[in-house]
Amino acid sequence: MSRIGVFVCHCGENISRTVDVERVAAQVGKLPGVAFATDYKYMCSDPGQNLLKKAIIEQKLSHVVVAACSPRMHERTFRKAVESAGINPFLCEMANIREHCSWVHENREEATVKAIEIVGMMVERVKKNRVLPTITVPVTKRSLVIGGGIAGIQAALDIADCGHEVVLVEREPSIGGHMAQLSETFPTLDCSQCIMTPKMVDVANHPKIKLYSYSEIELVEGYIGNFQVTIRKKARSVDEDKCTGCGLCMEKCPIKKIPSKFDCNLGMRTAIYVPFPQAVPNTPVIDRENCTKFKTGKCGLCQKVCGPGAVDYEQEDRLIVEPVGAIVVATGFDLYTINEKPKGSMIKGYGEFGHGKIPDVIDGMTFERLASASGPTGGKILRPSDGKEPKQIVFIQCIGSRAREKGISYCSKVCCMYTAKHTMLYHHKVHDGQAYVFFMDARTPGKSYDEFWRRSIEEEEAVYIRGMVSRLYQKGDKIVVMGSDIAVGVQVEIEADMVVLATAIQPQKGADTLAQKLGISYDKYNFYSEAHAKLRPVECATAGIYLAGACQGPKDIPDTVSQASAAAAKVMTLFAKDQLEREPIVARVREAGCVGCFYCKKVCPYGAVEEKEIRDRQGNLIRVVAYVNPGVCGGCGTCQATCPSKSVELDGYTDEQIVAMIEAL
Amino acid sequence: MQSLSRHFTLMSTVQFLIGGILLSIKGCFVKKKKMIISQETMDVDFVRKVEALSGTSVRRCFQCGKCSAGCPMATFMEHPPNRVVRLLQLGQWQRILAGRSIWYCASCETCTTRCPNKVDLTSIMDALRKLSWDAEGASKESYVQLANKLFLQNIRTYGRQYEMRLAAVFNVKSGQFLKDLMLGPKLISKGKLKMFQSKNKNLSEIEKIFTRIEEMRRKGEAL
Repeated sequence: MSRIGVFVCHCGENISRTVDVERVAAQVGKLPGVAFATDYKYMCSDPGQNLLKKAIIEQKLSHVVVAACSPRMHERTFRKAVESAGINPFLCEMANIREHCSWVHENREEATVKAIEIVGMMVERVKKNRVLPTITVPVTKRSLVIGGGIAGIQAALDIADCGHEVVLVEREPSIGGHMAQLSETFPTLDCSQCIMTPKMVDVANHPKIKLYSYSEIELVEGYIGNFQVTIRKKARSVDEDKCTGCGLCMEKCPIKKIPSKFDCNLGMRTAIYVPFPQAVPNTPVIDRENCTKFKTGKCGLCQKVCGPGAVDYEQEDRLIVEPVGAIVVATGFDLYTINEKPKGSMIKGYGEFGHGKIPDVIDGMTFERLASASGPTGGKILRPSDGKEPKQIVFIQCIGSRAREKGISYCSKVCCMYTAKHTMLYHHKVHDGQAYVFFMDARTPGKSYDEFWRRSIEEEEAVYIRGMVSRLYQKGDKIVVMGSDIAVGVQVEIEADMVVLATAIQPQKGADTLAQKLGISYDKYNFYSEAHAKLRPVECATAGIYLAGACQGPKDIPDTVSQASAAAAKVMTLFAKDQLEREPIVARVREAGCVGCFYCKKVCPYGAVEEKEIRDRQGNLIRVVAYVNPGVCGGCGTCQATCPSKSVELDGYTDEQIVAMIEAL
Repeated sequence: MQSLSRHFTLMSTVQFLIGGILLSIKGCFVKKKKMIISQETMDVDFVRKVEALSGTSVRRCFQCGKCSAGCPMATFMEHPPNRVVRLLQLGQWQRILAGRSIWYCASCETCTTRCPNKVDLTSIMDALRKLSWDAEGASKESYVQLANKLFLQNIRTYGRQYEMRLAAVFNVKSGQFLKDLMLGPKLISKGKLKMFQSKNKNLSEIEKIFTRIEEMRRKGEAL
């Protein structure tokens, strides 16, 4: 016979305002099996928990029901308390009489009756709870970092410095990401290359970091602590081990007029190339779409000149499987191309700014390449159309961002600051020029950020005009900017030499596909979702996967680096233990009843159902049944609802318990 | 000169209150001209002069609008105080001086006291009024500059003020012949207004002051 203790909480006044808690305790105390029932003002507080522990010992209770708030709120608190009093924590259940009762009702009498019924149901359920042992799973102390931008680099270095092996996967031929493209960084105006390239070299030289550049994630299997990741190493056509990075192949390559993606199509590269001179690894890659050898079978010049014989036209994509225990996703961002209207997307695009039609209307990243010392113009700000220095330059902010009608409602966060930086860089390089900025709001939260923005106006003489631009059009070799100054309340017209658009930040293309491979959730813009916006900002809802950088939302470099280090810290927390403890609320298969239809396998969102062979003593196969891997099972109960032979049961939510709850009503 | 200008400003304020209301109604129907911005149309030199005279930087202003929020005269201005600063930031002083805003400013200093960015708007208004003396296209709607000019002319001619002449010439030049006519006899009877001028003995010294200032103005050392 069970001796159940019921503890009814007032929750200050949250519950007792509408529910007569004393009556609930008195009524529930009369139920069969209930040995003790009481109420207290704050059950979760220290005296409340002590009351519970004392009652368990004194009354020799076998099961506990706490009638209070949602189990999402305090189930763990009370299970811990119960455990310390010597009862298996899974013999404690919560009856939610706050969210499900007192908060949503006004009539005290009716609410009290409902509360009594809720507690009664939980009493019936807890009677049938089983003692569950905590599940432990082993942890592979290696980590995968996806994306080799500043976020991925920082996370990889932090984890590797802690002594754990890191597999860093980068899609492009070189790590560095967008930060390698930037000229200078706000708010200190230090050169991006100077702070980025040493970190890239650290990654290349770190004994604990295994770098896969020009590679992509093919498949992710497994669960927290035990992932199996298949990486597709794309054919580079150059042997990384043999190549010395001398660059002779690039010098001799006859195909020299391919627009460089790294230089935002301002510069040209060869068919065998490294994206930029400071690339890590400094091994060239052959662009098979443009290479004459791959198109016509002739040429082969690079192979002839290569001293160590590293060029290999026969190379093929390779698939590599890496076992890891944790995954950090740091895939970063991409810029919104405003003249594109992708099919099936909510992005509508802008026609009025002539981006893509007027050559001197460029985006912020292109301006970065113009201003960069390693850029196609060697740091001179020149117009892409005729190579002249622009004397009147107009910056327009919030292009794409904060435009619900155009498909993006969020603020891209970095544009206000980088535009302020652009006006400064421009003023430093073109002394007799004038920069104008059209803006709606200047959003500069951050240490020394607002001061930086004010400096661009007060000292660097940028003219900020509050108001948006309606249209841009070409007039001779000028671009007419039709805007307004809402502070004066008049239309403004500027004949500019060059216009820079601060286009919105979007997640990388293919972010959704990767999320589906990883089994993590993402929002309607394809930004990855964190488990909790405030309290778990770097973790995914899927255990063992962490987020860093702009793949989670628009972020500047300081925020990205902080988040990357935070994600690394989370990985290290996971790696601190040899065994992982998991809540044992998992599904179990009753093998005697299982017919092996595997409907459960089809519906399982966690991929936890496996096929198990039952053999006789001679080793002959009798039949195949389902098996739920407790390390992977998320405890959702979908299999239980699907099973036609009622052979899968979720501990704590068995059919028997649910029926008992209904009968108690 | 500065205090005098302020004195006249106050006078003209009262005098123009009613007219101002009528004019601001008229102002609503005036078409707002499009602003063409370029390095040529932004007169930075003029703005530098304003900044030097007022000892304040117009670039500091971030257009919060607090000055206009507290200004007692803002309702009569076609460009409220914040917009005056905004137009200065864009080097569009002609738009300010063509209007009446600077003449409505009562120099109460509410704006300066409350400004979060230490923009001394009162001094900017003063500077603009001074610079409007020989700026092209300045508003002719205010008689403050006329009064100032006649006042100084009188000093130069007589060595001291000759109020009767000042009032008479002002009325004629401003086209308000009968203005304050009934006040004259009262002032005369109380000895406040003299019928005839009395010349200063050291007229030549006063003439020296005027020629020196004119010389300085020519050289650009004074306004």
